[in-house]
Amino acid sequence: MILTNLDARVKLLMLVAVSSVALIIQRPLTLAAVLLLTLILLLAGGVDRAKVWKQTRAMLSIIGGIFIIQCVFCRAGLPLITIGDFTLVTTGGLQMAVVVALRLLIIISSALIVLTGEMRDYLLALRWCRLPYEIVYMTLAALRFIPLLRDEAVSIYSAMQMRGYNIKSANWHKRIKLYLAMLLPITASALHKAGQMSIAMETRAFRCMPNRSEWRSLQFSRGDFIYTAIFFVLLIAIIIFIKQ
Amino acid sequence: MIEVNKLTFTYAKNALPVIKELSAIFNRGEITAVTGKNGCGKTTLSKLMTGILHPDCGSVFIDGEDISGMNLFAIGQRIGYIWQNPNRQLFCPTVAEEIAFGLRNKGLSDVEISSETDRYLQMFRLAAKKSAHPLLLSLGEKQRLALAAVLSLGAPYLLLDEPTGGLDVRCRRLLGVELQQLAERQNCGVIVISHEDDFIRRFCARKVVM
Repeated sequence: MILTNLDARVKLLMLVAVSSVALIIQRPLTLAAVLLLTLILLLAGGVDRAKVWKQTRAMLSIIGGIFIIQCVFCRAGLPLITIGDFTLVTTGGLQMAVVVALRLLIIISSALIVLTGEMRDYLLALRWCRLPYEIVYMTLAALRFIPLLRDEAVSIYSAMQMRGYNIKSANWHKRIKLYLAMLLPITASALHKAGQMSIAMETRAFRCMPNRSEWRSLQFSRGDFIYTAIFFVLLIAIIIFIKQ
Repeated sequence: MIEVNKLTFTYAKNALPVIKELSAIFNRGEITAVTGKNGCGKTTLSKLMTGILHPDCGSVFIDGEDISGMNLFAIGQRIGYIWQNPNRQLFCPTVAEEIAFGLRNKGLSDVEISSETDRYLQMFRLAAKKSAHPLLLSLGEKQRLALAAVLSLGAPYLLLDEPTGGLDVRCRRLLGVELQQLAERQNCGVIVISHEDDFIRRFCARKVVM
């Protein structure tokens, strides 16, 4: 069964379960196994390998930076790498760095499960969890703005370069100034869009009635049940087996 | 001249191409209009011609040089580009600074920057708003400011994506006259993406229909 066809509630449940396990568990081996399970789930579920790699690659430099910071600043355990009298990396620091890196990779990978579905399905799923419709709708609507804001940032960045600003030759101070200059138009645009959207929604009777009916509803199929059962059995098995 | 040679471009994998094997020539010293139905790829063409998007196949040559190896900074020296939505190219804290941004990058002295900025502020009737924030202007004023900021750079080619959108009749006529003067006196190649038949008939020497 491919992930796209899975019930949105199951996907949200998987996301919450995997992310929670990633945050609770401290053992690198268990985390590696959970990461492997998540990746198998994604690839067996029909998610494009290139997409998984693209999403992960975008975060690799941040994960690498956090890994180095953890290695250097976590001083627990025995010395592992020393320069003269100074201990650069300890065993505890390395272990913590691996744990944090694996946690981040799990969270990023599990987020890809959600990307296989449509926003309106998640809206129904969150409504099924008894969350207020207005909050759910606004959160998901805000997520839809992200690609638009990214496009806008790219346009402004391109406009700056086309008007003679050579970013390659600019130093870090100038680059930071440039990014700060981009912030205002992007924020203003986001606020403007939000204002326009709220007016458009109210003119189309949003929150007009106290109770809102749904045009479509989520159906929990046998396939969803089997998929959920297999997933949780595997997840619990990994946690118990590696703990022993 | 700008030569667009067998350009093909697709936004998403496995989708139909927005532009398929398009070839066209845009000369210096004249205004060329690019026109066509909504969604036929006019804005996409403008982004391909300015290196913001990269074609799947084909190439764009500016005065014989392939732009595929150039960065946006280098392309910006050759083509001044005005976005369809002016908000996407205004980022300075004041109207005057918006015009001065490109002039400063060109390495002009403070005196030259000041006089050129004032000249363009007058030309586009923005002098009264020189200290205002660009995002607080009306759509027409933003459009004029974007035009002023790009025109002040003096690139040999200008590409304007629907520049008449927010302009009143007078400003539209002034823009047409200004573009004609640029084309004739400074041998500038002007490409205008537009739906307005009246503007095209009156000011454009050639028309590319997509």
